[in-house]
Amino acid sequence: MNQDEVLRDAACIVISKAKDQSFRDAANLLAEAGLFGLCAQEADGGMALALSPATQILNAAGEQQLNFPLAEQVLLAKYVSGSSFAAALTSGHKIGTVAWQGDISSGWAGHAAHAKNCDWLLVRESSSEGTGAALIDMAGQQMHVDATLDPEQLQYWIDIKSPTILWRINPEQYAALLHEAHVLSAAFAHGAAEHAMNATVAHLSTRVQFGGPLTSKQALRHSLSRMKLLQEVSGAAIARVLANNEYGEQRAAAASLVGSLRNAAFVIEKAIHLHGGMGFTWATPLHYGLRNVRKLEAAFSAGTLSQDLGRRFIERS
Amino acid sequence: MTSQAVDIPDPRASKGAYRQHARNWIQANLPAHMRADSLDYRTPTLEECQQWEAAMYRAGLAGMTWPKVYGGHGLSLREHLAVNKEIGAVAMPESVSSVGKELVGPVVMAIGTEAQKLEFLPDILAMRKFWCQGFSEPDAGSDLARLRTKASKEGDHWRINGQKIWTSGAAKANYCLLLTRTGTVSDAHRGMLMFAVPMNTPGIRYVPIRSIDDKPSFTEVFFDDVIVPDSARLGAPDEGWNAAGRVLSIERATNRMYRAWRFECELTQLVRACKSDSVLTKLLSDGYYQRRIGDVLSEIDGLKGLVERTVDSMMAGEQIGARGSLTKLYWSECHQAFASLALEIVSHVTPASSPLAQRARRYFSTAYLFARAETIYAGTSEVQLDIIAQRILKLPKDL
Repeated sequence: MNQDEVLRDAACIVISKAKDQSFRDAANLLAEAGLFGLCAQEADGGMALALSPATQILNAAGEQQLNFPLAEQVLLAKYVSGSSFAAALTSGHKIGTVAWQGDISSGWAGHAAHAKNCDWLLVRESSSEGTGAALIDMAGQQMHVDATLDPEQLQYWIDIKSPTILWRINPEQYAALLHEAHVLSAAFAHGAAEHAMNATVAHLSTRVQFGGPLTSKQALRHSLSRMKLLQEVSGAAIARVLANNEYGEQRAAAASLVGSLRNAAFVIEKAIHLHGGMGFTWATPLHYGLRNVRKLEAAFSAGTLSQDLGRRFIERS
Repeated sequence: MTSQAVDIPDPRASKGAYRQHARNWIQANLPAHMRADSLDYRTPTLEECQQWEAAMYRAGLAGMTWPKVYGGHGLSLREHLAVNKEIGAVAMPESVSSVGKELVGPVVMAIGTEAQKLEFLPDILAMRKFWCQGFSEPDAGSDLARLRTKASKEGDHWRINGQKIWTSGAAKANYCLLLTRTGTVSDAHRGMLMFAVPMNTPGIRYVPIRSIDDKPSFTEVFFDDVIVPDSARLGAPDEGWNAAGRVLSIERATNRMYRAWRFECELTQLVRACKSDSVLTKLLSDGYYQRRIGDVLSEIDGLKGLVERTVDSMMAGEQIGARGSLTKLYWSECHQAFASLALEIVSHVTPASSPLAQRARRYFSTAYLFARAETIYAGTSEVQLDIIAQRILKLPKDL
């Protein structure tokens, strides 16, 4: 077992405890375990680890269906380094999230996980130097509930009016943050799909119909095999993006995110289908994973990301 | 192309040196008429392909992992992968000896005698001898355990009778890697025996089979009272099934390891051809096609990840096992879907289109037709799904 896997196992124990707690109690547990400071600087109370262990832990968070903006907190603690805000995030005294849609100038922000419970919000901010981001105080910001996709973990549209800007992230740093967010989100989606995959294998292996386990039926065996295939593809793509190419350059993460989200949606949708009526109802927790994956897809505009991938490939070919 | 000795770098000297060597050498030596994305392209002759691959071998771009004593370069799968990435990145012809280099070689190394290794392996790499693969039969395609071709021991030789089908390259082959059985069909996978049969042995005849792309891609091969010495036997009696399994695992996992990179190369070829033509350029400005190309790129990315992970696992000493089924299934289905997309795009080519676009239309129309075979050969998609269910997921069929 390598160091990342050891860390993942330890994190799994904490995450399994945190997932049933209130938002703030969960935050305390996760902070005590040092998970917020995985990538933060040591001077800010962090561990200054590379992205790989954080990827493993986000994968575990997805698999355990953790309802917490862990990726956002980890990234904010890293990217506000040099400010007093980093230590507050690392220690869990303050919780931050990121609005992946909207910006300061348009006056609205959205697709920020758990915005209602967070103290701070990172919002895109454009300038003549490019697109950076600003960390703002959530106090006093008006929010509109959007319960259309997830009636349990509500989403919000946030009016950005006269925001108190706490810190600014320059365009170069924001691009790096976005890259890492793509990787961590891909890992989270992959974990969510792994949960669905495992639950479906267990269910179909033990549910007896027509005189045998459902896994005796070739059609169902093949469905599970296709789910497994896509899980393997996503896992391999995420591992690939974590490793530099042969020339020591960082690989772009967009292809990995697009593929992982598409594959995760397939796997979880198929899992719901294969659970039959139980999959469609709240008797199984599969819907949490599906909602999370579809939220990520919308937050990062996966379709547009894919189109951008294609457009850039065409331009440089 | 050069016939001179090539200075092959030591991969331990610097990271990336071997891949850079492969890239430089291929760019400097591949004739334009053998590049499928060139206007100078024409179908190369067998002799031209033979010379090209022999030159690649001399340049250290074939037989990377084979021991030096058998003509190889004594390197690792990392160099094999590095070279394959560069082979894939250029629209060069498919190997005319992939059966020999990627299937026969590993099997002979695994179960052949020392004399067989020394006899067969150097000739494969130097492109002096071609091989074909005699596994599938009319009643034993996906279900190889039903094969009927019979080998009977008669003194110090074997008598072989039977029929093989879907055999690629039989017409040019010097040898056939032949899977037979010594007992009856009811023995299933027991009693299978493999041979290296010279194709000029009396009693062998073959009939071409025309495929969907109007090419004589396959043959039926008949073995009527074919007598071979015991020295033609590969491995012990009863070892054939395991050896066949090894061949198929290798075929699915490492054979043509360049596929993901060639896939990307084909996509580049398609886009460049479109950009050479005003009508097709307009098509590519459509967000619909941009997104579909983006989706293909994310599939290629996943496929590269699968291949690299397989190499990492094998370098760590793990067996390929069923992992090859994942790569084969994903590549074949994604590539088939890409071929359909390419056909859709090149269907807009007219006589007024650019020469490169017209060249692309010919290439991708053929590629689309041939892609039908990709989910059939080396184990159909359904066979791969069965393998994943049984050997990776270990799904119970009973309680």
